[in-house]
Amino acid sequence: MKDIAIHSQENDIREDLPWKQINTDILRSLDNPRRGYWYSIIVCLVLLAIGFTAEVIQYRTGMGMSKNHPHMWNLYIATFIFWIGMSHSGTLLSAILHIVHADWRKPIYRFAEAMTTFSLMTALLFPVIHLGRLWNFYWVVPYIPSRGTWPNFRSPLSWDGFAIMTYLTSSALFLYIGMLPDLAIARDNTTGWRKQLYSTLSLGWCGNDRQWRVFRKAYMLMAIFLIPLAVSVHSIVSSDFAMSINPGWHVTTFPPYFVAGALYSGCAAIITLFILLRYYFRWEEYMTLPILEKICKLTFAIAMMWTYLNLVEFASVWYGHDVYGKEVLWGKMTGAYAPAFWSMMFFGSVLPFALAFRTLRRHIPTMMAVSILLNVGMWLERWMIVSPTLSQSFYPWSWDVMWPTLTSWAIVLGSFGWFGLLFLVFVKIFPSVSMYEVKEMVYHRKLATEKAAAHVGGGAPAYGAHTKKEDAV
Amino acid sequence: MSSLQNLIDNWSQYRKGIEQGGFHHYEHRWGMAIDLNACIGCNACSTACYAENNLAVVGPERFAQGHFMHWLRVERYWDQPDKEFPEQGASFLPMMCQQCGAAPCEPVCPVVATYHTPDGLNAQVYNRCIGSRYCNNNCPYRVRYFNFWSYYETSWPEPLNMQLNPDLTVRDKGVMEKCTFCVQRIRTAKDKAKMENRKVKDGEFTTACAQACPTNAIHFGDLMDPESQVTKLWATHQVSRVDEQGRPRHEQDKQNPELRGYRVLEELNTDPSVMYLERVRETLA
Amino acid sequence: MKKSHRLLGLFSNFEEATKAIYDIRADKVSGVSVKDVTLISPIEHPEVEEALGDRGVHVQFFTLFGGLFGLIGSWVWISAAQATFLVQPQGGKPVVTLVTNFVLNYEMMILGGVLFTLIGLLVGARLPSRPGTLYSEKISLDQIGILLEVNEPNLAPLKSLFHQHNVVEIREEIIR
Repeated sequence: MKDIAIHSQENDIREDLPWKQINTDILRSLDNPRRGYWYSIIVCLVLLAIGFTAEVIQYRTGMGMSKNHPHMWNLYIATFIFWIGMSHSGTLLSAILHIVHADWRKPIYRFAEAMTTFSLMTALLFPVIHLGRLWNFYWVVPYIPSRGTWPNFRSPLSWDGFAIMTYLTSSALFLYIGMLPDLAIARDNTTGWRKQLYSTLSLGWCGNDRQWRVFRKAYMLMAIFLIPLAVSVHSIVSSDFAMSINPGWHVTTFPPYFVAGALYSGCAAIITLFILLRYYFRWEEYMTLPILEKICKLTFAIAMMWTYLNLVEFASVWYGHDVYGKEVLWGKMTGAYAPAFWSMMFFGSVLPFALAFRTLRRHIPTMMAVSILLNVGMWLERWMIVSPTLSQSFYPWSWDVMWPTLTSWAIVLGSFGWFGLLFLVFVKIFPSVSMYEVKEMVYHRKLATEKAAAHVGGGAPAYGAHTKKEDAV
Repeated sequence: MSSLQNLIDNWSQYRKGIEQGGFHHYEHRWGMAIDLNACIGCNACSTACYAENNLAVVGPERFAQGHFMHWLRVERYWDQPDKEFPEQGASFLPMMCQQCGAAPCEPVCPVVATYHTPDGLNAQVYNRCIGSRYCNNNCPYRVRYFNFWSYYETSWPEPLNMQLNPDLTVRDKGVMEKCTFCVQRIRTAKDKAKMENRKVKDGEFTTACAQACPTNAIHFGDLMDPESQVTKLWATHQVSRVDEQGRPRHEQDKQNPELRGYRVLEELNTDPSVMYLERVRETLA
Repeated sequence: MKKSHRLLGLFSNFEEATKAIYDIRADKVSGVSVKDVTLISPIEHPEVEEALGDRGVHVQFFTLFGGLFGLIGSWVWISAAQATFLVQPQGGKPVVTLVTNFVLNYEMMILGGVLFTLIGLLVGARLPSRPGTLYSEKISLDQIGILLEVNEPNLAPLKSLFHQHNVVEIREEIIR
């Protein structure tokens, strides 16, 4: 018994967690918000207002507010890729870990999936914002045109549109479908307008065996589709660069490099949101330190993967005597953008070693700071892909260094406000921890422990799983 | 569906890329030969281009920010390191859109705002452009210019707007533009020739830059016309667009010093239509 | 053959509920077959559902159809659209580029698969629907329900079977 007791301290979740408590704790997050929530909303609105103002000014006067020749792409594309990157973690947690039956994902994948959907919605702002004539952005959509003016399906930007719309649709559907049983729980335990909302959204889910059977299969099928989708989406986004001829961009490692960077920044964002939600909603029972440790270890592994792909790109440039590529790389390392480049290398490759130490992993403020800095490093990485190549390309006459303008920074900030707003609205309306999955996790772990105890102890398995349920109906 | 029928009928044609000779045959293929030894860097060509094509004069601040609009730019290169005066030993390169046969700017536009004409030109459709600017990023020569501001508001105050060429538009902010080999002149000449039921004669018309050049450094003409001056210059300097099978090629015989023809950044396989005449030297910069 | 009563037995112990189903499967109550049993539960229960027997799921055929539809449909659509252009933004490449079209075909295959899986889910699980009058909120909490439609004579034996397995609550209604 002593062994089991020690083991349970290190458990991802308490195995005797009563299901009633799971319902109550999670549904508590859907209550009327307190002051701290409103402050967060105001902060997000302020950021959004800054971004919106900057965008209106840019819309009216021209793209000269943030671009020049040859820096025709600048922070907007970098931030676009950053947001798409952040979206991959939800898929990683929901889909990949689901297929390998890693049940420690169960308390945390819901908000990660939400993060995926909202980062995609944030990312979608940028292909529109960076256009010179953004009111015509719908020409990229292949509605059936009366004059036969289809978009150019050869263009990587067109692929971007398709891929991101597919990913957004699939992620949103995956999130929604996964939420159906939880929406039913919410419907059963709320009143007033909320009950009406959840009744509509839960589609009358009642949990009969037909529904569960079909649900299980459909969810698994969608998870199987979502994984190649996630990989292909970020590869397609990387092909904005890889399909061009520019040195520093026309690199075959870009698809895996971008996907690795995406998983990396997504996992770092999961750590940040994990800590925030755990603190704000007092979900220490569910978002436990062992689960945090697992995420940190996963982030560390992905960080090493990203580091390798980064370094191997440099190695291949050096090996190939690609004159233009070498110039660009040398420019990155020693030129005007060198401080940003080396910061990226530090935050991206050196800082993750903080995740390798157990004491640091369990120290929440450190993990908060580290996860934010990792994402700063990833944002810098995206910027260091876009700007140095444009500043130093094939044609020496057009070499030019340009620093991002105030307008660019304002719009980038605005995108963070937009994301924050979407996420804050989500956590108040939908349960951001999956109740039924946590119940499953507790149930199956309890069964497993009992089976192990029965094996070892040789006595009758102690049920006790739901003894507390005998009380008032 | 007729587009499906179209696809089936022309399947083999549609599968031909430039290595297989392309999917249509050029009736004309407009090209240039620019003699850099004759060029004195006077910028008359650039000025003529400004006048002909309604290019916006942006002013020194915007030029310094990188918001310029010169479709034809005269670049200056110095290859002698220790000079007594900074202006000594400059070479000039008038660089404009090379009208590449395998233009990297074409396939990357998300809305087909740039396409390849049967004349061998790379055309830009201002009305269709939504300003994603991928085309300039993919242009190795960086010869595409984006309307970063609404230049028309400030560039031609009354009565300067009377000087604008009515044969083409004035572009608003948010669209990409570039040298078109004075396509309005090409169209006029072709229409005239068609009405008179004859072929376009070499020298009948020319681009604004070629017309203005005081030293006749710029030669413009039809590379498909065996009698035109540019064809003869290309052949003389052994720069040929296509090989025997109709595939593009790029080579220069470096042994013979008389052969001065080359195309810029040929190794990127863009198949430019502009040949420069200058001995390409390997010097330590 | 329409039955006269609908019975819902709520259990808080999942093992007992499983045993009850096995008993029904073993025909302990005459006139009630395991095929009539509907299990209502807060979490998915593959082990309890085993007691019900294999009931077959058909979502995957929707998915397969959707994926193929997306793949082939998008190829035809995109190639035809590329072929309709009077002038072509080729850049030296062929007009109908299989390599670049493949990227979009892959994406559309996934989109088709996902959307048709959703349709398959809605069709297979018969959503949206109303939970029914015999639904208890305790099910979304922590209890498991066995729902059966039976005729009058089988009502009492069934209830006693439930009581043997520690049923917490029984709800019944008469089907009109």
